[in-house]
Amino acid sequence: MSTPAWKRRLKTTKLGWWFIGMTFGIGVAAINTGNNLLFLVLGMLLASIIVSGILSEQSLRAVRIERRLPAGASAGQPALVGLVARNGKKRAPSFSLELREKGGDIQGRGFLVVLGAQQTAEVAYRFVPHRRGLHRFEQLEVATRAPFGLFEKSRPLDAPAEMVVFPRKVPPPAAQPQALAREGERPEDRIGLGLEVHSLRDHRAGEDARTIHWKSSARHGRLIGVDREQERRRRVCIVVDNRALGGAPLDRAVERAAALVERELDAGAEVSVSVAGRRLPAGSGDTHLREALTLLALLETAPASPPPEPDPQASVIEARP
Amino acid sequence: MNARLFAGRGLTLLQAQYWAGALAAVFAFLACAVSGELGPGLVLVFVAAFVGGHLYGPRVYGKGEWGWTVFIVGAFFVLVAQVITTGLDVVLAACQFAVLLCIHRLWHRRTQRDELLLMLMSLLLLCAGAALSAELTFGFAFLAYSVCATWAMALTHLRFEIEAGRGPAGSAALLQSRRIATPALLGGLAALALMGLVGGAIVFFTFPRVTIGGLRRATRNQPAPGLGDRVDLAAHGVVPDDPRVVLRVRLAPDPGRQTLDMHWRARALEVWTGRGWRMYGSGVGAPMRRLPPAPWLFHAYGRRGPPLVADIEAVAGFSDGVVITPEGWPLGVEFKRPLNAAGTQPHLLVGGAGDLFYQPVDVGDLHYVVTVNDEEPSRDLMRRRPTKYPTWLQVDLEVPGNLDPRVAALARQLGGGKDPADAAMAIEAYLSSKLGYTRELPGEVKDPIADFLFVRKKGHCELFSSAMVLMLRTLGIPARNVTGYYGGELTAGGYYAVRAGDAHSWVEVYFPQIGFTRFDPTPAGERGSQLDSMWARVVLLWDSLQQKWRAFVVDYDLVSQAQAVKRIGAALDEAARRLSGKAGAAPRLRVALLAVLALAGAGLLGFALRRVRLPSLGGKEGRRALGPDQRRALQLWRKARVRLLRAGLDLSPATTPREAARRSRLEAASAVASAYAAARWGGAPLPSETARALLRRLDTELRGDA
Repeated sequence: MSTPAWKRRLKTTKLGWWFIGMTFGIGVAAINTGNNLLFLVLGMLLASIIVSGILSEQSLRAVRIERRLPAGASAGQPALVGLVARNGKKRAPSFSLELREKGGDIQGRGFLVVLGAQQTAEVAYRFVPHRRGLHRFEQLEVATRAPFGLFEKSRPLDAPAEMVVFPRKVPPPAAQPQALAREGERPEDRIGLGLEVHSLRDHRAGEDARTIHWKSSARHGRLIGVDREQERRRRVCIVVDNRALGGAPLDRAVERAAALVERELDAGAEVSVSVAGRRLPAGSGDTHLREALTLLALLETAPASPPPEPDPQASVIEARP
Repeated sequence: MNARLFAGRGLTLLQAQYWAGALAAVFAFLACAVSGELGPGLVLVFVAAFVGGHLYGPRVYGKGEWGWTVFIVGAFFVLVAQVITTGLDVVLAACQFAVLLCIHRLWHRRTQRDELLLMLMSLLLLCAGAALSAELTFGFAFLAYSVCATWAMALTHLRFEIEAGRGPAGSAALLQSRRIATPALLGGLAALALMGLVGGAIVFFTFPRVTIGGLRRATRNQPAPGLGDRVDLAAHGVVPDDPRVVLRVRLAPDPGRQTLDMHWRARALEVWTGRGWRMYGSGVGAPMRRLPPAPWLFHAYGRRGPPLVADIEAVAGFSDGVVITPEGWPLGVEFKRPLNAAGTQPHLLVGGAGDLFYQPVDVGDLHYVVTVNDEEPSRDLMRRRPTKYPTWLQVDLEVPGNLDPRVAALARQLGGGKDPADAAMAIEAYLSSKLGYTRELPGEVKDPIADFLFVRKKGHCELFSSAMVLMLRTLGIPARNVTGYYGGELTAGGYYAVRAGDAHSWVEVYFPQIGFTRFDPTPAGERGSQLDSMWARVVLLWDSLQQKWRAFVVDYDLVSQAQAVKRIGAALDEAARRLSGKAGAAPRLRVALLAVLALAGAGLLGFALRRVRLPSLGGKEGRRALGPDQRRALQLWRKARVRLLRAGLDLSPATTPREAARRSRLEAASAVASAYAAARWGGAPLPSETARALLRRLDTELRGDA
């Protein structure tokens, strides 16, 4: 069952306990003395408690909140989570709203002094994830201590979500000479858009003039066109053998692998990631980077899995702890 | 952003919070000070400390704390010593100490703790005010305090929430913003305070008035004009026309007039001091079991109607222990329950001169009913009475040895050789017609009576009555000076108000077998108060309010509560009787009532169902905030979740779609989770067909799995 909309949590603040104590004391004094003016003061204090309850309910009513997760977050680095609140009431504003996470792996809160009727406002909280992997969010809670700070009334809302925290950013390990042996962009034996000459042929009418090979044309006395070779980008395969690694060594290996993925992608290479039982095909771009980092973020010890299969056409770099 | 925040006029949040706290303290102090018991010194100290705290408090905050400690502890010991040695009222001492604590807090306002302590002290002062005073002014101070304290509580909460949530640097802009403590917010909070007062009134009227009765405190009385046990005729200045109300009177039968020409008798002053009058003996005598019997000729007065019943509220501070009675012979005095919290029932005493008193004096306002025979003996009945007087009247026949001989000569000229009744009437007529009235006092003169009769030939009521008493005594007729009030003005509250300025003096002459009979030599048009100014009307209006305050607030007790419950019960009984048709009520009324009840029930049920059925993230507002694809994604997940639950998967409310997919190990569930995440958070489209296809696939896999 999901949390019903009418569910509230009520907590008495320290000031609230003092207030209740004072009210009780004045009540005793009023009964003891029979002084009607003390009864009047007592009535005011008791009514304040009731009015406080009504107003805090008014503040919470029709307030919806949603969470906006960051596009990416890395362990050890601060990230911002946005909490968007909308006051659905037609006229009444809401005061002193605290929006906060409840349950889940991450705790954070934001405060809104006032949220006008029919208005939306966003607050963000900063958190620093301490580990890579999946982080779960369970509930959001909107709470208020308005108007007097005597009680805290809160309303929980189910807002399950999860966020993958990428591995901690560390400097990549130094490049290995063996790994560099096959580095560089390599021509493929087919026509493409590279720089190297693949073959010469007669120029075809309507073709781009830039395809004319002027030296050959001069030598042969007719227009000779040139076909260029297709060049293949450098391909790197990052290997993490997570069969025997676990705990901190696995984390260190994963962090290094993530650093290597970023470095190689920045350098323009196509990067594949191979772990025990799974391989991410070679690719490039931001989407591929996110996929690779997600794979590494969620990597766990897998002793029963088959060993990693490196990309045969790629330079292989193994990330070790 | 900041430019917008700082724009606008008015108070910043910090200023509003500061002044709200300060005003709450001031009004709480006023609630205490209106009792008049704190003394002018402490009032001045508070005012000076308030101004000083405002000007210098922030600068000296945290400095010289030992000085404050010495001051507070020293004051505590001084007050304790005063309570022990001088008998200072412990409640008053506690109030004075609370004032000093409040002063201390006014000089220390920086942290949240400081502000909360200031509010606590304000509340203590308000309670102290409740213990010291029962006046309407307390009510107004209480009202103002309620509004200011609401402002202070709410703004203090807001200020420190902002500071806690944003830190000192981040909160500075908001705290200096003029866009938070706007007139709209302050007005709303004031309305909130009034709502609180309405709620407070409900609690006030319904809270059971059971009382233990410990630590009760009586109201202190003050001497009042017209009621003193001595009169000095040689004073300086002008007789003040004080507009304050001293008696509130309801008469039965109602005279139906706007103003009364009635004497309100307080006490007789029989001993001439040479410059005025004083009471004979110690005044208050033995407790009275019953009123003294009327003279035997009393029945011959010839009653033509029922006796006069006067319901009298003698305002605290004016009654001074005297039971004031309307003119005529008192037949009975019945004390009502006391109006103040002291709860002491007074008892009746009789003085040597037959005056009526009550004790204890410090019961505060006194409420009693006097029944009098207001028929007066006719002039014929007074004539031809014996002139041999009993010995106990000796004091009313005493003529001072140093009396100016012209007084006796004038008396002989006016009443010599006449019947005592005729002589008294002649002297009364002479004084009221030949001498003038003035409120200016003669000042220091050797013989005020001779000065009045032969030099100034004008004076105030006490000179008129004194001259007549002495002139009658020179003729051997027993007479005495009587003080009290004259008049009464009908108020909006339906009662007659007798003011302090209505203080009056007249003469009582003794006639055997009749008793003392009233004569009033002061010109009829000059008796009592002559006030008809705007101020006098304002005072009367104030007194009307004061009377209602006392009747509905100060006087409200268990008896009133029981009566109110009885009235409500009677009203309900009557309604039930009418509805049951026993009282001949139309059946249409029953149908209408049932219809109203059914409608109300249906409304409540609908509201409850709506509250229960509202989904946690749904609701109109929630759905409106989402796009169509996001809504579809939400529905897809809900439906998929229901299917997975039915299939026996254990899903908590916090289980995410991905988690559910992992646990179910179904590819279709993974596809649903991906589609949900892409559409709900990633902005990807989710056509209805796709959603339906995903659900069909899930159903298929679930069936296959089963």
